[in-house]
Amino acid sequence: MSNLLVLLILLPAAAALVCYFVRSMAVRKLTVLATGGILTLSALGLLAQGTFAPTEVGSFLGIGSDFLIAVLDFVLLGVIYFYGYKHKSLLIQGFTLAQVVLLAWFELVMVGHEAVPAMMGDQLSLIMVLVISIIGSLICIFALPYMKEHEEHLHLKKTRQPRFFFFILIFLGAMNGLVLSNNILWMYFFFEVTTLCSFMLIGHDATEIAAKNAVRALWMNALGGLAFVVGMMLVYTQAGTLNISAILALGSTSAVMLTGLAFLCLAGFTKAAQVPFQSWLLGAMVAPTPVSALLHSSTMVKAGVFVVLRFAPAFAGTFLSTGVAVCGAFTFLACAALGIGQSNGKKILAYSTVANLGLIICCAGINTPLALTAAIILILFHAISKSLLFLCVGTIEQAIGSRDIEDMRGLYGTNPRTALITIIGILTMMLPPFGVLLGKWMAMEASADSNIFIVVMLALGSAMMVVYLARWAGSMMGTSEPGAKAESQPMLTRLPLMALCLGSVVLSVASPWIYNSLLAPWIGSAPFVVGFGSLESAHGTFVVVPLFLVLGLGLLYAVKAASGYRRVKIVPPYVSGANSASGDGTYVGPMNGDVPFSTGNLYLGEMFAEPKLTPIFNALAVALIVLMLGGAL
Amino acid sequence: METLISVIIGLVAAPLLGGLIAGLDRRLTAWFQSRQGPPIMQAFYDVGKLFGKEKMVVNQWQILCAWVYLIAAAVSVALFFAQGDLLLVFFVQAIGAVFLVMGAMSVKSPFSQVGAQRELIQILAYEPILILVFVGFYMVTGSFSIHAVWAQDTPLLAKMPLLYLALGYALTIKLRKSPFDFSTSHHGHQELVKGVLTEYSGPYLGLIEIAHWYETILVLSLCALFWHTNVAWMALLLVATYMLEILVDNTMARMTWRWMLKRVWLLGMGMSVVNLIWLYAG
Amino acid sequence: MHFDCGSCNGCDIEVLACLTPLYDVERFGIINVGNPKHADVLLVTGTVNHRNKKVLKNIYDQMPEPKAVIAIGACGNTGGIFREAYNVVGGVDKVIPVDVYVPGCPAKPEAIIDGVVAGLAKFAQKVEEA
Repeated sequence: MSNLLVLLILLPAAAALVCYFVRSMAVRKLTVLATGGILTLSALGLLAQGTFAPTEVGSFLGIGSDFLIAVLDFVLLGVIYFYGYKHKSLLIQGFTLAQVVLLAWFELVMVGHEAVPAMMGDQLSLIMVLVISIIGSLICIFALPYMKEHEEHLHLKKTRQPRFFFFILIFLGAMNGLVLSNNILWMYFFFEVTTLCSFMLIGHDATEIAAKNAVRALWMNALGGLAFVVGMMLVYTQAGTLNISAILALGSTSAVMLTGLAFLCLAGFTKAAQVPFQSWLLGAMVAPTPVSALLHSSTMVKAGVFVVLRFAPAFAGTFLSTGVAVCGAFTFLACAALGIGQSNGKKILAYSTVANLGLIICCAGINTPLALTAAIILILFHAISKSLLFLCVGTIEQAIGSRDIEDMRGLYGTNPRTALITIIGILTMMLPPFGVLLGKWMAMEASADSNIFIVVMLALGSAMMVVYLARWAGSMMGTSEPGAKAESQPMLTRLPLMALCLGSVVLSVASPWIYNSLLAPWIGSAPFVVGFGSLESAHGTFVVVPLFLVLGLGLLYAVKAASGYRRVKIVPPYVSGANSASGDGTYVGPMNGDVPFSTGNLYLGEMFAEPKLTPIFNALAVALIVLMLGGAL
Repeated sequence: METLISVIIGLVAAPLLGGLIAGLDRRLTAWFQSRQGPPIMQAFYDVGKLFGKEKMVVNQWQILCAWVYLIAAAVSVALFFAQGDLLLVFFVQAIGAVFLVMGAMSVKSPFSQVGAQRELIQILAYEPILILVFVGFYMVTGSFSIHAVWAQDTPLLAKMPLLYLALGYALTIKLRKSPFDFSTSHHGHQELVKGVLTEYSGPYLGLIEIAHWYETILVLSLCALFWHTNVAWMALLLVATYMLEILVDNTMARMTWRWMLKRVWLLGMGMSVVNLIWLYAG
Repeated sequence: MHFDCGSCNGCDIEVLACLTPLYDVERFGIINVGNPKHADVLLVTGTVNHRNKKVLKNIYDQMPEPKAVIAIGACGNTGGIFREAYNVVGGVDKVIPVDVYVPGCPAKPEAIIDGVVAGLAKFAQKVEEA
């Protein structure tokens, strides 16, 4: 098993070095494919072996691993400070210096340096490892043809792909390390590695806007890192140990401990781009699509919610828990509202991501068994669906040259396969019986136990999400001309898209068994009983498999009915009798000229415009976070 | 086994009842307007006629979306009669609503497109209210499942009066009656020609009509749950509610989406929140 | 569905009167729809001229089979008093097949209802044949 851990954490680092130093396209391709395959197999192998209690990690090349991590930590902070200096950002420099000072005090003066078993694998870690390794590998594979096309499009003379794959692969290893950590200092180290990777990858294209957004991401995440250090120190003062399992077992005993946990949650908030920190994630959308898919929807931001979820048992039942829930629910509402006013496809997905992360944090805050189940289900299925959607948007962007959903109108006519996968992806995000809705359903049922503000915010946010997702899906439905050229796609693009699409559907069907094998043991007092392929409880029942069967059969019938449409009479749309000869929505207008069909979505700008709402939401969110932190005291 | 029987009864009876209610609706509306109105079975004649017409579409998505709308509406009614989870019933019904919107958006017709956008805003308006009503159910009965309602001794209306009024907003929107009928209006009225439904014709329009009956029965059944203890009072409640809907339809003008959103969110959600606070406190 | 070709609106107002409580054509289950795709019976008033003959043909084609056409008023039947005008093509039957002719200038609502009911009978006949 320790071999598997080495493979999961260190192999990507080694592969990253290979990608960086060996400047051959073929070697890079092979390395990425091989790493992806090995990571997937290792993750599955780890799952098969089951959960494992905290284990020791021995020395690495003769140096004690704790010492190595500590040294690397300071090196990392130095590197981040260097970049803060290079970009003349006082915020980054300030936050990083503060981290260095506090960390040095912590390491040298406070910590007792007893041996802490550094790696642990409970069900939550195993699920996260699966998400990171499998989805991460698929995205890296997608990135191979994508980056080639991307660089051709930018007319780059010298390829920057080595740098790209170096950071992406290191990132995968760091994420695996983060979720498997049992030593809080190790978790902090991996946390900071992801910060650095994110900064490097956002700024990958080296344009001015990319640099600006990368710097903003870095200072916000540096603030998160600082919060992590402060929280770590406060928790250690009370708990006296770096061992996360022991900390969780202690629970919330005092105000100091709770404040420490509150700061750790704040670190999770910044990493997960919760309001008021969402601007870094929005800005990060300038990065190439694999970055958005991997870091900023399915994995790195999940590290933020993972931190909150990991420490959730420690603050169950306290005011901090309620505060976290309210902050999460508010983010859900705010970002759902902000998404309505957007027409940029990646921004829509970004707001949707932040909103769903808010929902997960809200569940972690509600802290009942049902809510925690909801949180993990959401993490799993949201990662799959959202990464699929980002990859689709990336593919579409390269096909049509725009990421605005108005330009994607009727895309099915020209790119049927991509459009269909995108539509399926959108539907899995918001409709039953798929996993994301299962999680949302559980979250709403759980929220009925908490306070009324959360209930109202979740109800409103859920309605808003349906609006902007449904209108995007509808606008892509078009008709293909009978003799149109078939859509061509590189194999390595098609494979991840189909795999993720299939995965989201199949795993949704399998959700009762995923629940039984992985979630129920982790939660302890399991909220559901699995029967007839449904998740049953006194609260309410979600009939997963029967719904899939009935709706699936219905859909098949509908598709069959629709596929014979060319035998049915095709007519042009009704435009008051003035249809022109071309047959689609063009009509005869002034001076007998043809007026082409044009339409746009209703973005409800009076109520939901981004510039109008963002300052209000940011201010409210700051107030809520202050409330949460203060309440912990 | 009994569940299966009640599901089958529900699936068969719901469209029949729905069509009957649609016919009665037109009769009552005519009475309000001092007219005679069509025969009560008119809705069935209309749908029968529609199925006999030539099949005519603009594109294949219309066929797909019309069928999925019908299937989702039917499954949600089936789930309701199987005494399933209220929130799940609502989400299954939402599948149909989303597919109706998507089907309308797939057509290059201005009426269809604007109707679809307005339909989305209607969904935005009634969805939070319905969710809050279900939370109210949970607060009173302790579960989101319908079979928990039967365990209550007193009618739910006693504890959830304001939530019932808020449900009235959702019912008005779902029945496509003024003042909330700006995406498409019910029989005899035009809005944007026929808004969301403009490009559907013949058998596919018939499918959508039947799906609309299923949805009507679904929302009315939800209203019926508010007085589950006595069938007579339940019937009275439903009749009174429906009469009120027709009265409101005939007296009020069609309003804009801004008006609706403000009204429904402020008043509807306000009433729901107040009722929920009563339930939390109690 | 009702289409006004080149009418002076006299017949149109009478058609509208049929929808009022006094004459109430909805007793027969008839409602007025706005788009041809939902319509079974097309009521046409007014003269057909070179411009609106295209529109008339277009909306007639967009009506799903089976369908019936009723020409209302003198202008709709033959072109009425405007028959000799330079831009007038003539009655509705110059462009689309007509099932029922309702004479009058303007046609009385009772006559229109009579015509519509006769049209319904023809429509039912077509449904039988189909």
